[in-house]
Amino acid sequence: MTDAITVLGARLRFGETAALESVSVSIPQGACFGIVGESGSGKTTLMRAMLGLQRLDAGEIRILGTPLQQGRAALRQRARVVQPIFQDPAASLSPRSRIRTLMNEVGTVLKEPHAATHERLLVILKRLGLPDSVIDKYPHEISGGQARRVAIARALLVKPSILIADEPTAGLDVSVQGDLLNLLQDIRRAENITLVVISHNLAVVRLIAENAIVMRAGRVVEGGEVGPLFASPRQSYTRELFAAWPSLASNNKGR
Amino acid sequence: MAISLRDLSVDYNLPIGTAHALRNVSLDIQKGEMLGLVGESGSGKSTVAFALMGLLANNATVTSGTAIIEGREFDLTKPNATAPLRGRGMAMIFQDPMLSLNPVFTIGTQLIEVLRRRAPDSDRKTRIAQAEDALAKVKLSNPKQRMNQYPHELSGGMRQRVVIAMALLSEPALLIADEPTTALDVTVEAQIMREIIGLRDRIGCAVLLITHSLGLVTEHCDRISVLYAGERLESGSVRDVQRQPGHPYTRMLFDCEIPIDRERHADTAQNRFTVIAGELPDPRRRPPGCIFNGRCDVSFADCAKVVPGDYPVAGNAAHGARCLRLVTP
Ligand SMILES: Nc1ncnc2c1ncn2[C@@H]1O[C@H](COP(=O)(O)OP(=O)(O)OP(=O)(O)O)[C@@H](O)[C@H]1O
Ligand SMILES: Nc1ncnc2c1ncn2[C@@H]1O[C@H](COP(=O)(O)OP(=O)(O)O)[C@@H](O)[C@H]1O
Ligand code: SF4
Ligand SMILES: [Mg+2]
Ligand SMILES: [Mg+2]
Repeated sequence: MTDAITVLGARLRFGETAALESVSVSIPQGACFGIVGESGSGKTTLMRAMLGLQRLDAGEIRILGTPLQQGRAALRQRARVVQPIFQDPAASLSPRSRIRTLMNEVGTVLKEPHAATHERLLVILKRLGLPDSVIDKYPHEISGGQARRVAIARALLVKPSILIADEPTAGLDVSVQGDLLNLLQDIRRAENITLVVISHNLAVVRLIAENAIVMRAGRVVEGGEVGPLFASPRQSYTRELFAAWPSLASNNKGR
Repeated sequence: MAISLRDLSVDYNLPIGTAHALRNVSLDIQKGEMLGLVGESGSGKSTVAFALMGLLANNATVTSGTAIIEGREFDLTKPNATAPLRGRGMAMIFQDPMLSLNPVFTIGTQLIEVLRRRAPDSDRKTRIAQAEDALAKVKLSNPKQRMNQYPHELSGGMRQRVVIAMALLSEPALLIADEPTTALDVTVEAQIMREIIGLRDRIGCAVLLITHSLGLVTEHCDRISVLYAGERLESGSVRDVQRQPGHPYTRMLFDCEIPIDRERHADTAQNRFTVIAGELPDPRRRPPGCIFNGRCDVSFADCAKVVPGDYPVAGNAAHGARCLRLVTP
């Protein structure tokens, strides 16, 4: 089967910084793929390149076998197939329009009656633990975690076949995070979505992804099946990353 | 000297009705201690921080609350109540470091401005030296060169270090850190937490750490307060609360935490995550009885009628929770 996303020898520099350096990745269809690595390692840049939002200096990217095309029409068409959930939820929410306006736009793009979009939206909001009343709020009137879930709800509303989520669980409490992850697991299975999860939450990536890569300074340092990768990382960098994970250690302070 | 927040209540005016975001929330933090404030997203944690800092949105009203900081009492219902403390007695680290940094000024200019506000009489040379010293203390490489750089030239982790250096220079009595590491990976997170602890130990301030990571709380905090739908449901030393949660919500929250060594199904779609079923109550209409009723797995008839008080857990006066089970044999 064709890969959902193929990246071949991607290279990109911002001045002195090598944001991507010989990055090659194949993401199989219908699977969950994890991308981990320290901040500044190039994860978001790779995501932007996969979405066609960032031109490469060299290399190629294919979505479902088709090379990425530049231009507005191609971008719009691709949006039906690949949906991003950006790291900064505020960036995907326009400060001047109510959440309702944002969601209605999706219906317009899908050429779906607003009532039908609204009905699907209510189901998604419920699953994400958001009250219906958020629809009538402006982005600055909701909490950080709520804004993130609104951005996720919008991406899910488009019914994409590939979903790329940049730090989807950051800023969510453990229970809401669990709800979101269960929801992603459900739609993944029901609608055979390819899920790409960029996260520094290693405990989460370990449980939901089949395959993962570890990035550092623009390069893929290690990759493969998650089971062996997390159980016995070959690179010392990957080991360091795992060792830094804060666990529910027993606390020796206080009275 | 301890920092104390008493009976903070905050309302947000909505197009329809009024949302009661906080109801009579009290917190105490000893000097040199770190208090972890946790709770569901939307429970009011950032509202606590913004109310203390005087940074609430325009549609917010503080309907009750006093803060006692460095022995002085501040009536938070008055506009700009804590203005005399901003940049001096209190400092805040936001999740997004760019909220604290001005994109059009160099790092050096911004650090020197903090010093100018604090000690208007010191000369420029001294301030530059102090600013460079602060950058070195938060382990930013090449402090001299960083002074002339703009925020966008630094990575997220480096920016957060600059914000901590700014806090260090303002020598606050209370440092509020609202999800300071959410945008950062675990290795940088560990380093930033070390810098915050270093700052606390250096100037002996009290720290309010707002976070979703119970791992960070159990690793670094002395005490924990649990917020739910605008009410404080439990507080105590981290050790006591972890060992014996007095409130079902706290217990369920700890149960949702995902251990890094949890058993892993090879078919990853089978790996499910623990959640607390149900939703937050409507902030416009507080249901009668216990606020957690409806999601609680051990509720009983009284819970729908009686509002629980704050009861000691296991006879420990320093550990309290608002659950009727504690007083019902
Ligand atoms: N300006 C506003 N107008 C109306 N409602 C608001 C406003 N700001 C916040 N709220 C609401 O007040 C409640 C508390 O918000 P707050 O930002 O304090 O939550 P939080 O605990 O910090 O959540 P998170 O963990 O998601 O950051 C939420 O229900 C939120 O939607
Ligand atoms: N628009 C840009 N201009 C200059 N440098 C950039 C830009 N975007 C990213 N970078 C740099 O590229 C590197 C990778 O960044 P990023 O992809 O955001 O990392 P990650 O998502 O892994 O944290 C970093 O050094 C970052 O500072
Ligand atoms: S008072 Fe009742 S509903 Fe509330 S937490 Fe205790 S047992 Fe549960
Ligand atoms: Mg990123
Ligand atoms: Mg918040």
